[in-house]
Amino acid sequence: MGRWLILGVAASCLLGVSNSRARAGSTAPNDVKPSEENLAIVVNTSNPVDNLSMSELRKVFLGERRHWPNGRRITLVMMEPGQPERKTLIREVCQMNESDFSQHFLHGVFTGEVFVSPKTLASPVGVRKFIFNVPGAIGYVRVTDLDSSVKVLRVDGHLPDDKEYSLHIPPAPAQDQ
Amino acid sequence: MSEGNNNAAPAPVQPRDQVLRVFSRYPSALLLLVVFSVEVGVGMFVIRDVRTASVEAQQMYARSVLGLRQIGELQYQAQETRRSTLYALTTNDSNLQVEYADQSREADRRVTEGIAEYLKQARMPNEIEVGRGLQRDWSAYLKVRDEVLASILEGSIKEAVDMDLNGGVPSFERVRQDLEDVKRLYDQQASDQLARVGASSRRSVVRLVGVVCFTLIFATFSVWAIQRSRMLGAVQFARLQMEFVTSISHELRTPLAVIRSAAENIADGVVGGKEQLARYGSVIRNQSRQITDLVNEILLFASTRNRNNRYTMRLLQVSEIIDVAMENTAELVREAGFMVERHVEPDLPCIIGDLSALSHCLQNLIGNAVKYSAQTRWICIRALLDEARIPGNREIQIAVQDRGIGVDKSELPHLFEPFYRSPAVASAQIHGTGLGLPLARSIAEAMNGRLTVESKLGVGSTFTLHLPAAKQKQPLAAAGARGRDAVAQK
Repeated sequence: MGRWLILGVAASCLLGVSNSRARAGSTAPNDVKPSEENLAIVVNTSNPVDNLSMSELRKVFLGERRHWPNGRRITLVMMEPGQPERKTLIREVCQMNESDFSQHFLHGVFTGEVFVSPKTLASPVGVRKFIFNVPGAIGYVRVTDLDSSVKVLRVDGHLPDDKEYSLHIPPAPAQDQ
Repeated sequence: MSEGNNNAAPAPVQPRDQVLRVFSRYPSALLLLVVFSVEVGVGMFVIRDVRTASVEAQQMYARSVLGLRQIGELQYQAQETRRSTLYALTTNDSNLQVEYADQSREADRRVTEGIAEYLKQARMPNEIEVGRGLQRDWSAYLKVRDEVLASILEGSIKEAVDMDLNGGVPSFERVRQDLEDVKRLYDQQASDQLARVGASSRRSVVRLVGVVCFTLIFATFSVWAIQRSRMLGAVQFARLQMEFVTSISHELRTPLAVIRSAAENIADGVVGGKEQLARYGSVIRNQSRQITDLVNEILLFASTRNRNNRYTMRLLQVSEIIDVAMENTAELVREAGFMVERHVEPDLPCIIGDLSALSHCLQNLIGNAVKYSAQTRWICIRALLDEARIPGNREIQIAVQDRGIGVDKSELPHLFEPFYRSPAVASAQIHGTGLGLPLARSIAEAMNGRLTVESKLGVGSTFTLHLPAAKQKQPLAAAGARGRDAVAQK
């Protein structure tokens, strides 16, 4: 009984933290620092999907969804570990860290709960080209790396240029620190 | 004889007439000029023809090279498109796969551009048809290629291979076949073009040979014509000279016979009495004078032909010239029983010339009028001023008119040729040397004038001496000085 109580308190504390974060994100979007960049979720231009909620996006990037509404198989495109874009996506969308994310896919593939294995590319240009070539691909790039070869998805109804957009890449720490 | 007023209507000498006159004097030069012009024209034609053939050959070569390059590039890039796609199958590295996909798309873009360029240049219906077929088949292959690439990048290698074998290979084979058709068509066109250039070249050679043959024949004919013309001229000249000698001999024989007969009569003592002796002496003197005049005329003509005659140019009154001429022919006219009318316009301007030569010219004309007007015995001498047809060039015309036998139209062009004698007058036993009119014309031209004739057979003739009038304010002394200058230049 005491164990359950401790777990409940801990869970409520975690929920409280996440809610407070969510509230902070929704009520104070203007807190994005000028040096921060937004992370755009991109798909092939032939993809009929224009908008995904954050939870749908999480399912997609965690490999829990297999096909797009048009029947095309979903192909995840990730950048190599350590890249700020990848860190942001894992943290903000998947709400994990790098090791949890890797663990999730290892476990999921093994158990059959995950249907899609992400493709890893070295550069934003590679990501764009991959998505351009694969109709069912989804990936992410910085807003500054966008071009017309890919389509930008709305997240919770917001485009990266909107103030309410929630995916921000934090500025890189100074090298001397 | 046709109508009168035959050639030589009085008119100022135009530059064109002077050129024609020069050409008529030098037919050989004219013929050579024509030959030269024809040669130049032929040369230009041949050069143009050769240049055209050369340009055609260059264009064909350029088209061949360009076409071969286009087809080669199309074939290479099409293969490159497929090769890059297949390379993507050989690796699991997504970065490399993307790179291969990128290469395939770059090659495919070049193929698409090449096909568009081919269609843009296509003119013939079969070219357009083949080009559109290639475009259609290439688009079909690209659709399969895109699916294959997507499968490869997704990691579905087996699916990609199956798709390529079932769809990619046949569609690419159709593309390859289309490219072969394009190449075959191009080869056929190149062969046709080569045949056309060959035919054009053969035509050029045939034309060149034809033109050269024509030129050779024309040149040969021209040389033959020149030689023949010269030969005929020489024969004609020799004949005229022979006739001249005969005529002169005849002209000399009559007075010599008279002189000889008179002298024999005197020597034989047949002539008695002072009065009869005086009559014989008069006969001998007249015949001797006739011989002297004849010899003088021959010498004068020879000197004008040699251009070594010297004239004393000065301002002359027209009436002065006519007076001298009439005075010198008075005896001839009186003995022949002719009536001479004289009409000289008052206040005629002066002319610049040699009095002796001009009066001799008029004397010849008067002598001819007497000689060829046996029945009518009428001569009219007119002098008038012709206001110039060319402004500033006034002209004095002195005309000698008769009502004699006239001249046939066909003989007029020869009338001023040396030694020429009309067959009619020769048969009529009218004596002459054929030098009087040529001499008169030479004198007229030496005085910057000309001599013309109007004649009608059986009606009469009018010979007109045209002389330029002196400028009104021209001082006598200056005119005389210029006259001497003119003498020096002649």
